Formats: sequence, C-alpha cells, structure tokens
Amino acid sequence: MSSPGLPAHPVRTRGVLVLLATFLLSAPLDAESDPPSIVTLDWTQAETLVALGIAPLGVAQIAAYHDWVGEPRLPESVVDLGLRSQPNLELLASLSPDHILISPMFANLSPRLARIAPVSNLALYMPQGDTWQQIHQLTREIGALVDRDGEAEALIETTENRLEELQDRLPDDPAPLLMVQFMDARHVRVFGDNGLYQAVLERLGLTNAWTGTTNPWGFSLVAIERLAGIEARLVVIEPYPAGVPAELRESGLWQHQASVRDESLITLPPVWSFGALPSARRFAEQLVAALGEATHVDD
Amino acid sequence: MSTTSRQRLSPAAVCLLLGMVCISAAVTHLTAADLGDGLRSLWTVMPGNVESLTLHYSWWPRLGMALLAGGGLALAGVLMQQVLRNPLAAPTTLGVASGANLALMLASLMAPGLLVLGREWVALAGGGGAMALVMALAWQRGLAPVVVVLAGLVVNLYAGALGMALLLFHQEALKGLLIWGAGSLAQNGWGDVAFLSPRVMLGALAAWLLLRPLSVLELDDASARSLGVSLKYLRLGGLGLAVFITGCVVSVVGVVGFIGLAAPNIVRLAGARRLGARLAWSTLLGALMLATTDLLLQHFSGALPTLIPTGATTAALGAPLLLWLIPRLRLGGRQPTASRLEVKRHPRPTRLALGLAMLLSVAVILAVTLGQTADGWFASLEGDVLQWRVPRLIAAAASGVMLAIAGTLIQRITANPMASPEILGISGGSAIALIAAIYLLPAPGNLTLVGIGTLGALTTLAVLVILNHRSGFVPERLLLTGVAITAGVDAVRSIVLAGGDPRGQQIIAWLSGSTYYVDLPSAVIVGVLAVALGLAARPFIRWLDILPLGAATATALGVSVDRARLSLLLLVALLTASATLIVGPLSFVGLLAPHMARLAGFARARDHLLGAALIGALLMVLADWLGRQLLFPQEIPAGLMASLLGGAYFLWGLRRL
Repeated sequence: MSSPGLPAHPVRTRGVLVLLATFLLSAPLDAESDPPSIVTLDWTQAETLVALGIAPLGVAQIAAYHDWVGEPRLPESVVDLGLRSQPNLELLASLSPDHILISPMFANLSPRLARIAPVSNLALYMPQGDTWQQIHQLTREIGALVDRDGEAEALIETTENRLEELQDRLPDDPAPLLMVQFMDARHVRVFGDNGLYQAVLERLGLTNAWTGTTNPWGFSLVAIERLAGIEARLVVIEPYPAGVPAELRESGLWQHQASVRDESLITLPPVWSFGALPSARRFAEQLVAALGEATHVDD
Repeated sequence: MSTTSRQRLSPAAVCLLLGMVCISAAVTHLTAADLGDGLRSLWTVMPGNVESLTLHYSWWPRLGMALLAGGGLALAGVLMQQVLRNPLAAPTTLGVASGANLALMLASLMAPGLLVLGREWVALAGGGGAMALVMALAWQRGLAPVVVVLAGLVVNLYAGALGMALLLFHQEALKGLLIWGAGSLAQNGWGDVAFLSPRVMLGALAAWLLLRPLSVLELDDASARSLGVSLKYLRLGGLGLAVFITGCVVSVVGVVGFIGLAAPNIVRLAGARRLGARLAWSTLLGALMLATTDLLLQHFSGALPTLIPTGATTAALGAPLLLWLIPRLRLGGRQPTASRLEVKRHPRPTRLALGLAMLLSVAVILAVTLGQTADGWFASLEGDVLQWRVPRLIAAAASGVMLAIAGTLIQRITANPMASPEILGISGGSAIALIAAIYLLPAPGNLTLVGIGTLGALTTLAVLVILNHRSGFVPERLLLTGVAITAGVDAVRSIVLAGGDPRGQQIIAWLSGSTYYVDLPSAVIVGVLAVALGLAARPFIRWLDILPLGAATATALGVSVDRARLSLLLLVALLTASATLIVGPLSFVGLLAPHMARLAGFARARDHLLGAALIGALLMVLADWLGRQLLFPQEIPAGLMASLLGGAYFLWGLRRL
C-alpha cells in the first residue's frame, strides 16, 4: 500500500489503515483475492464498480452522485475526492490507490494522475458504434481491471436476462415513446440516438419517437414546441425544476400534447442518463412497470 | 465628434428597412404551410392541425415576446442613457442583467419557493441591487460615463465570478438556469406575453409621463435646477423605471444582450434628437431588432441538436457593433482625472515593503506545510506532499505578481484606478480560444491548451492595437474596447454552457481560475517569466511617474506618449496572457493589488510596482491555500477565491475610491 521508495508519513499510514479497515469491514466481498484498490472520477464507472461488488477507494462528488445517479448507493467507506473536474490530488495521493479510472472528459488530468497510480481512460457513448455493445465492453474492461472478470460476465448476463423478462411483460403493440427531461418550463432534453435510454428501448424492442439529431451524449436540447405533432407517448424523467409543474398547467402548448390530454403521460424517477448497466436495468424496470400500470388503467 | 453622421438615414427609414426584413422573414415562415391558416392561427387553433397548434401556442407568442422584450429593453436603455447622460448605459452594461441572473441562481439553490412565488421579484431585487452597486462605485466620480461603464463591468465580473462558483459545485442543479441566462425566447403558450405586456405598457406610459421632466436632464445640472426640478428624485425615478422594465423582461426571457445599448444609439446616430422621438423610435427599433434576429435564428438553427439562445446571440453580434460604435460616440461628462491617484504617501515605503515581504513569507510557509487528508489536518514537509503543493504555490505567487504589475501599469497609463488587465479583454480573448479548443479537439493535452490560449491572447492584443492605433491609444477608448471584448466572451460562454454538454464542467473549472493544472516544470517557467517581465518594467519607471499627469504634461516633459503607451501595453499583454493561462480570466488581482498598494501609501512608480507585486503574490498565495482548505476535499479555484475575497475588500474601499 505504501508508496515505494519514500518513507510513508506515520499519520498518513494510520489514516490509510483505518480506511482500509472500514473498507474491508463494510464490504464483505468474496475473499478469493484482494481486488486492486481503485478510484474513479466518473460516476458511470463508479456505479459499475459497485455493481461488480467492488467498493471503490474514492469517488468524486459523492453527494452529487447520490443526488443524480442515486442507485446503487456508494458504501460509507468511499472517500470523496472533491470535484470531478478537479479531484483533490493531495488526498488522492494519500489514499495510494493501485489504479485510477477516468473517462475521456478528464483526459487532460491524466499526466498528473499518472504520477499517483496507473491511469485507465475508459470511453463510453462514442458516436461510432453501438451503445449497448459499448456498455458491455466497458463492464468487461472494468471487470478485468479489478480481477472480477467472472462478475462482469455475470452482471451482463443477469442484466440481459432481466431485460428479456421485462420485454415479455410489455403490453402488445406499445406506442412509440418520447423521453424528455425538463430543464425549465420551456425547454427539455429529449433523449435519442447514442444515449442510454435509447439503447434500453432498443433492447426492449420499443420504438423511440425522436429521430432528430443528438449530441455525443445522446440528447438534444429543444424548446417544447418541437415535441408538438410527434405521435408518441411522453415519458418525463424527473426531477422537475422548481415551479415547472405549475407553469406547465398554464401552458397551452403542453396541455395540447396528446399524452397530456389523454393522461397517458408517464413520469419516471430520476435515472442517471449517462449511466451503464445498473442504470440501464433500473430504467428498464421503472419504464416497464409504468407501461404495465398505465395499460391496466386504460382497461 | 459624432455630428458627422448627416441625415443619410432617418430613424423612420431604419425602422422601415428592418420592419420589411422582419415581415418577410415572418411571412416566409408562415407560407411554409398556408399563409391564411398561419394568420388565422394567431387567435385560434384549428382542430387536429398540429401546424396550427405550434403556430398558435409557440410561434406567435414567441414573435410577440420578441417584440415586447426588444421594445422594453430599448426603452429601458433610452431612460438609462438619458438619466446618466451616458450613451453607453444599458441594462447589460450597468450590471442589471447579471445581478438578476445571480439572484435567480441563489434563489433556485437556497429558496426555490421564491421562484414559484414570483421570478420577476427575485430578478428585480438582484438587478436593482447590482445597479445600486454600480452607482455607488461611480458616485464619487460624478457618474462620469466611462467610470459608470467600468463600474458596471466590475460588477458584471463579480456577479459572474459568484455565479461561476455556484455553477462549479451545482452544475446539475443549475442546468436549467444556464439556458435562461443565455436568453431563450421559446414560448409554450400566451402566459408570458400576458404577463409582460401590461408591465411594458405601464413602463411606457410612465416614461411618457416623465417625458418633460426627463428632457430637462439634457441641460447641465445648474440650469436644470433653476427650472425647479428636483434632480435627485427625477434621476431616481427614471432609473427605477428602467430597472423595473428590465427586471420584468429579464425575469421572463432571460439575459438578452445589447438591444438596450444598440437600439437607442442607432436611433441617435440616425438623427433623432429630442427625447420623445428617441423613446418612440428606439422602442420600435429594439422590438424589430430582437424579432428579426429571433426569426432568422429560428430559421437557421432548426436542425441543430442544441439550442442557440437568442439573447446570447444578440450579445455576440452586439460586441462587434459596440466596437464600431465606440469611435462614433460623444462621451461627455467629467473625464477621469489624475488628481484621484494622489493618496497620502507612506514616509518609508521600503520599510512597508519589508513588512509585506515578511507577511508573504509567513503565508508561503503556511501554504507549504499545512494541509488536510481524509482524517483531518496535518503538517508535513515531505517530498510526496510538497510535489503537489510547491508548483501551485509558485504558480499562484507568480501569477499574482504578473497581474499586479500589469494592473499597476495599466492604472498608471490610463490614470484610472478602475482599470485592470481583465478589463482590457486580453484574458477574455484567451478564454474564447480555450473554450473552442476544449470543444473542438477530441482530448486536448495541457500543452496544446497553453499554446491555443496564448494564440487567443495575442489575437486579442492585435485587435486592441489595430482598433486603437489611429486614436493614439486614448485610455478611455482602450478600456471601452476591452468592455466590448469581455461582453463578447460572456456571450460565447453562455451559448456554450446553455447546451448542457457535460464538458461544460471542465470549462467552468478552467474559467474560474485554478492553479490545479500546474506541474513543477511549468511552475518554474511561470516563475522565471514573472521575474523577467517584472524586471522588464524597470526601464519604464520614469514614464510611469509622468504618464498619470496627463498627455499634455507628459509631452511637455519630453515623453513620446504614443510610443510609451504602445510599449507598455505590449508588456501588459504579455503579463496578462501568461497569468491568464494559469488562473483564468476572472481574477480581480490585477485590479486590487495596485489599488491596495496605492492606498497603503506606495506612491512613486517604483514603489507602487514593488508594493503591488508583493500584495498580488500575497493575495494569490492566500487565495490558493484557503481555496484548497475551505470546502475540503472540493477545491475553490484560486482565481475565484481571490475575486471573492477581493470583492469584499473592494466594496469596503468604495468610499475611498
């Protein structure tokens, strides 16, 4: 654990030991081999690590992770590294991780991080290639880095099985869906090609009604007038910003949306829209449950 | 100076021309389906017709909103310009818009309930507060036009810095406000038009009632008073009305730049003289300008996966317009004079400097030894901790020194204590280049970023030199060029951040000015650069003692004023570009350090430079260290920390300005 060549500072070593102890106690993982200790700046990688049964040593912006990614929760032992774009280097060095995971967004940090531990830059949501395959790829790569290849395959398999199960539960001939998240009362992010939600829809055999272009993160920022005339069932992903539901009740354009008028609108609790397998599974479960409920109401 | 614009174009002709463009753009949109149906959609929705639905609930209200907002902002602009006798006064230049923006950010984080109760009151409070601050800053200088605009810029920068801090820590929660801050006119019904129209009408009515008394303000104060007008209440009433209209517009459509500045000035240049004519034509022109811009923007940005907000676009288009306007404006009022630079002189500046140097070494020792880990505070002098702390310390101190020297130079060249390198726009120029690099290159390394940032700074410098060469680098004009460039940077930043791209976080981090990215080799380079450029200022010391006395005195004393200004400016640009690459464009050190040094009693140029450099280094070292400890493990960037600390000092020091 101690950095080679330099005598470790007593306080610091003790700190690391305490951390390690809490880490081992709080995460009763299978003890076949000690996984390398790992830190990550990227929330998508963090959720994948936790899903593989690994408690990362440190993750950036933990409070915000819990607000925006939500599940799976990070264990108490995980150290907050500070901002994602500027993790605290002194703190990071004092944790002496074996490996640092980043995504291309933080590539400019890698020379600095490389002085602490080897850095792996794992990409997801690249414009070329199939998103779903990329998510598999990312899961396998992370599994390999933490000696959890078996668990990675298992995670992929259980997720796939779960999605198939969910697909069977879908009502016959479901309407195309239009997935949006409100930015304010007049603007939404609408999710489409190259994003997580779209990948899940494809997996479930559902149709996304948004065929417009999207940015490299799989969404397009539009005013809500662009949604008018799209024949689809609306899926609103929470949270609504403050005051927006009240403003929407007054909005002629919104009240004329087909889904709002026939009350078939679906509201889903927040799911990290740039996530990997755990987020995909949660999104699929919530979506299918909502679709099921809504059809029962119709009957 | 500006009377050269003979009646080639009357205000009516300008409005007619723009009105025709506006109407043809609108008709083009409507004829895409069916003109008759399109027009009918204004008051009714044809059942089962989606086209008509969108037209009725989105396109028509949006057109109405553009006309209302543009007219309202232009009206507010005329009022501000009339009351302050300042052709550059406008809702954006006086800080009203950025104050409203900041207030809304704070409200949505701390008291979202307020937003449900009434956004316009939150916006109004913020905007009014910001403008009161600008007035307070410029009060002592008799609200001289250039000083007011500079004070507005400082308040804009400060509100911007605070906003950056909030964004840095709450990017996800504030993503909606980023769109609003960039001024989008998109509508989802007639609600907002119904809200805004009575308020703008009321504002227009009040302006009409105030027409006669306000016309009196064209006279000088003494003659106006002899007519029995209470100038104080008249000014307060006029400004209050302008802020009210701006606040209402801004709370609905967000920050829309430059209409309030451009429309009244174009009308004036086109020959409208009397206040009544200027009010009426400006309002019409402003409405048409915003509506036309918005229609064209809707037409051309339709298929993009992101929103191009109209407000930020007018601001981006307005920046070149302002550059074009500046030489054509007559900037009356009291010009900044040298007298204010004389503060009591310290009897022994050397001893004062020694004291500062000792303070600086204490700060350095503190910053190197004391830090935190996951289990709390600890003191250490070990290599593996120092490798993180020492480069940041050197970089912070060096950039503090460079900005302080640059600030001292520019305050002495312009004889204006409000001047600073940030205000020249050089920092802004390199910021635009860096934003472009982060967005357009796949995964840029730090070396690439440094190179591109330098290129941006040099380009801005070239623009500054080209635009000001003919006028012989007159200080006021130079500063106004900087104001225009800074406004352009703001617009680009808003457009980029409004898109909600996750890379925005990186841009915010860099813009807020952090020593984070500095490693030892680059820290050493920066340190050497600071010393070298600092020494390069030495030969200019005689000029620096003479220039604040004014151009005439300087020429009489045998100084070639043009050459002196040009060479000093080059030095300022180099210093600013080097420092900006490390701490971003937002730090106030270049404004504060020279100011504090002067107040401490460093009067002669040599002492002033030395004192400012020491204070600059001290400020940045402290800011960097505090920023790393206050919210541990999150780090507040040094530039941001310096401006937060400095802003507090600045407000306290207002009365002595």
